[in-house]
Amino acid sequence: MNVNDRTTATPFGNHHMKERLRKRSLQSITYLLLSLFSLIIAYPIYYAIISSLKTTSDYTADKIGLPSSPTLENFSRVLTQMNMFSFLLNTLLVVGVSMVVYFLVCTAAGFAFGKLRFKGRLWIFTFVLFIQIFPQMVIAGQLYQLISKMNLLNTHIGLILVWVAYFAPFGTYIMTTYYSSIPKSLVESARIDGAGVFQQLTRIMIPIARPMIGTLGIIGALAMWHELPFSMLILQRQELRTLTLGIALMQGEFGLPTTVLTAAILVTSGVPLILYIIFQNYITMGSTAGSVKG
Amino acid sequence: MQNRMSKKLRMSQDAKDGWILLAPLLVLTIVFLLYPVVSNFYYSLTKWKGLGEPQFIGLENYVKMFGDDRFYSSLKNLFVLVLYIPLGVFVPLLIASVLRGGMKGWKIYRALLYLPNILGPVILGTIFAVMLSQVGPITELLTRLGFEHASRFYLLGKSTSAINTLSFLFVVWMRVGFGCIYFLAAMSTIDASLYDAAKIDGTNAWQDFIHITIPGIKFSIQFFTVLAFIEVFARMYGMIFTLTGGGPGYATYTLEFGVYMLSFSAYQKGYASAWAVILFFFCAIIALVQIRLIKKEELS
Repeated sequence: MNVNDRTTATPFGNHHMKERLRKRSLQSITYLLLSLFSLIIAYPIYYAIISSLKTTSDYTADKIGLPSSPTLENFSRVLTQMNMFSFLLNTLLVVGVSMVVYFLVCTAAGFAFGKLRFKGRLWIFTFVLFIQIFPQMVIAGQLYQLISKMNLLNTHIGLILVWVAYFAPFGTYIMTTYYSSIPKSLVESARIDGAGVFQQLTRIMIPIARPMIGTLGIIGALAMWHELPFSMLILQRQELRTLTLGIALMQGEFGLPTTVLTAAILVTSGVPLILYIIFQNYITMGSTAGSVKG
Repeated sequence: MQNRMSKKLRMSQDAKDGWILLAPLLVLTIVFLLYPVVSNFYYSLTKWKGLGEPQFIGLENYVKMFGDDRFYSSLKNLFVLVLYIPLGVFVPLLIASVLRGGMKGWKIYRALLYLPNILGPVILGTIFAVMLSQVGPITELLTRLGFEHASRFYLLGKSTSAINTLSFLFVVWMRVGFGCIYFLAAMSTIDASLYDAAKIDGTNAWQDFIHITIPGIKFSIQFFTVLAFIEVFARMYGMIFTLTGGGPGYATYTLEFGVYMLSFSAYQKGYASAWAVILFFFCAIIALVQIRLIKKEELS
């Protein structure tokens, strides 16, 4: 996997030199461009970090440079005065519960689509693929009415149900491709042993899906963590809000100084960023699941 | 005879188990997704504020929509966004093919390039709104570099630059990192001996790119392109809301954003439903393309 390994000795010294020179310069250009690109991509978060450590006057005087006297005041203000802490707890609760339900729904449905053969299966699978791309806005108007009729407006349960409904189709698709690759004999021998469908699910299918927990977790949890429109509709009371919703409404609602806003941004992305730093390899590779093929 | 019997029995067992396993998914999607989508068609024929009984008015909403500047502005903006998709596919594809052989320090670059996916559109929209504002760091940088009236260089302040900035950020900037990782994963499935054979034939890197890499990952390129369309038509709300709020004027409206504004800001739910019906048809086309792609791939 290393470019340098490819340099093989040739009997023609001159040609070899030229080739090496070309490769070197190509490599330097690649590094240069890639570095430039990475800097452009990473700049916003760098900007958020330096701004969040500045005082308001420090920021007004210099928006680009490093903070002259770093302060954590913005963070303490965000956590104590702005409900961010309760937003964080709400988010962890709603995403956590949703993920458990999501995982169960996706494994069960993936098991059915991937391993069982029955009439109508292809049609329903097509329906699931079809519905998973729909914009939240086509659903939102009527969903709002439905949720309020069900008395689920301003409840976390309402949001959990809607999130699982909206994100499970794609998760099901991923689990279906995974389960189609395991032998059906597992199911058959379990049946011979007299295991019912729930036992098959809990004793075979869920344990076997362990390598997929990470992938499904990344795809599902990130989507939920970033979700805005449904949370906006269902959680209208401030004390119920999630972090993403909190930050989206912050710009307009408070007319905040940038320094505090950037601190709030870092608090909002804190959990995903920390998890990302720890599981970087896993997350970047897992994110391509279900859609990469030659 | 007995064999056939047992086969029949097994199939019915599959069906029984299958429906039980699918029940949670089906109940949730039918109640919370299918019902709202279908009933939306009916509401598009009514005048309705969200409270009380909807009043049937036939095609009036559609007539109104086809005379509404906001509607045409949304379509035009979607068109601009779509024009950026080729760039959004080509840039990561090119980077990935340069990196295909591996390079030192790639993991660090990858970590940085993937950051936008971790931060998400709402956070990015919020940061960029601050960075690109008239009193933001970009203006300050330009002022320091000696530009007079740098605050006039306000990308989000004029219609044309606003939609182009939004398009570039959403379609290219945000997706490059994921695209690189995605295409690299796809390229790793190409048989390495193809490149070795080409090397013996003395082809250059560009020829390899055109004749080996692109055909080798055709499915992934198509799939990534479809994903880009989905993002543009169906997943942009969070970024538009935080970056521009649809403005200036209606310059960064899309159908998706318009449905939200009409429905929850103007309380014209019947009228918003007519917009949603148009959005439905765009998305249905994209969904059909995607399904065909997946089915074709699985059959081959």
